[in-house]
Amino acid sequence: MRKMAHVFVLACAFLLSGCVSVIKVAPGERTVGEHLQISLKGAWNHIDAPAMCGPHCQVWTMEGLPIDQLLIYSGLENDQPIHADSGQSSLKAFRFRSGMQPDQIVALFEGLLTRNGSTFKLTKLEQIPFAGTKGFHFEFKLIRKTDNVELLGTGTATESKGTLFAIVYQAPRLMFYPKHQANVADIINSAKIK
Amino acid sequence: MNRRHFLKKASWGSFCGAVTVAIASNDEGWHPPTRFIRPDISTDEGGLWAMLDREETKLRRSPFIIRDESLQSYVTGIACRLAGDHCPDIRVRLVRNKLFNANMTPNGMLQVWSGLLLRIDNEAQLAAVLGHEIAHYFEKHGVDRLRDLKARSAFGHLLGMFGLVGLVGQVAALASMFAYSRDQERQADRIGLTLMSKAGYDPAEASKVWENLLVEANAKTDANTSPMFAMHPPMNERKEALTHLAAQLPKGEIYEQRWQEKTANYRCEWLDDEIKRGQFEESIALLSRLIVRSPSQSDFFYARAETYRMRAKDEDFDTAINDYMAAIRLGDEPPETHRGLGMIYRQRNQFQEAKVCFEKYLKLAPQAADYSIIKSYSEEPSA
Repeated sequence: MRKMAHVFVLACAFLLSGCVSVIKVAPGERTVGEHLQISLKGAWNHIDAPAMCGPHCQVWTMEGLPIDQLLIYSGLENDQPIHADSGQSSLKAFRFRSGMQPDQIVALFEGLLTRNGSTFKLTKLEQIPFAGTKGFHFEFKLIRKTDNVELLGTGTATESKGTLFAIVYQAPRLMFYPKHQANVADIINSAKIK
Repeated sequence: MNRRHFLKKASWGSFCGAVTVAIASNDEGWHPPTRFIRPDISTDEGGLWAMLDREETKLRRSPFIIRDESLQSYVTGIACRLAGDHCPDIRVRLVRNKLFNANMTPNGMLQVWSGLLLRIDNEAQLAAVLGHEIAHYFEKHGVDRLRDLKARSAFGHLLGMFGLVGLVGQVAALASMFAYSRDQERQADRIGLTLMSKAGYDPAEASKVWENLLVEANAKTDANTSPMFAMHPPMNERKEALTHLAAQLPKGEIYEQRWQEKTANYRCEWLDDEIKRGQFEESIALLSRLIVRSPSQSDFFYARAETYRMRAKDEDFDTAINDYMAAIRLGDEPPETHRGLGMIYRQRNQFQEAKVCFEKYLKLAPQAADYSIIKSYSEEPSA
């Protein structure tokens, strides 16, 4: 619990440091990036910080970071990393490549989420329609290294015109994931690529 | 830097965080110290122990600890053979972490990471690593370093503000920024080899640990430093120094068969962690070495094939197919071998071959997380 508090303090410090701003995303039709359209039944918080996941990605949260996190990728292009450039040369960059298979895209997210020593276990991978295309859905368990908290996660993704569209959500297993899972599913089901 | 970070990164005897220069001579006449008595809490060393005890409690409860009594007692047994009378004071903690590392704290906690266990070829090599760590513990190098830091003038000021025990945490955290001195590393290598030799292990295996790591380090093709080696010393120097010293000691046993048997249950998990690390060149170098060492083990061929498939450069798919096939020929291959092969065939529009592979995978792994998607691939109209 103390570790969780440390992570929370760090996240707050980051948010308050002037590097980022938090914007309320009101319910209704929203467009993420240039091409991904989604419909929200409830409000979310958009952490406006390109340094967190790059220009083709947005970070949203319902409860606040690091409790839960929704990553939305809209048109990530070939050879672009799925994360922001950390500036640390020792950290492996995980890049999307056009034509990647679902398991390779899942491996990208697994690599990203375990860069800090966390452990990732895939629990489901299936084909589903997403944003009017033939996409795929995956679920995972993550034990976060920084505070040993067990999280559950879900991701839905597709490749369209050689670019990646994905919505990946993660939250602590015991309370927050079940609380917001349906909300996230609604967002995924509403997604359209313009 | 928090305390856990300090413990992880560093250093109180970090085998891989060391800087070593040529070992000049054997430690003839060296004897292990008598067992340590818990230092008084009012002393700097007592404060350090208390802080490390708290860290150890957290680590013990961590989900990253490998909770396997058999493996735990096996590695503890090796540590005990090296540590002699100090055995009751040493607590081995096996940690699931894909990087290569081991370290020992002054209070007797000996951490060994799974990335190191994957890379070890035999019991003697693990004894070399543990012996080095135990040598730092015997010689109280961690405490020496703490005192050295305290002696620096900048710390004198802080000492006045926080008091001795209160300062230990800050000093300990800062201490992680400093490597052991060359003399301390040289001494730990020397004593470690002596411990190994006395326990009946072949000291020639110590230099091979570094020789093997060098193969991976040299495989990097880009300028970026891998996290695996970011905190490593010049390995060539270390390898040569250990080779020179080992030549002066009697040969011993390596216990390769026993090592392979004891770690067999974890090999798949550790290999999977290695593949997912995403450092493809290093992984291919490692797996190629393991294949040469153990050419009849299908899981190494499978893991290398997966790494090539994930990298997906130029001729990688062809190479991957060869490795998948080799794994199948050897038998007892992981079910994922057939999935990987099927994925390549599917990407090459060889749907009939892909279908056969996917069906085999589904038969062998009906509980697999990706059962649904692979089943849909096997039923694709074009298949």
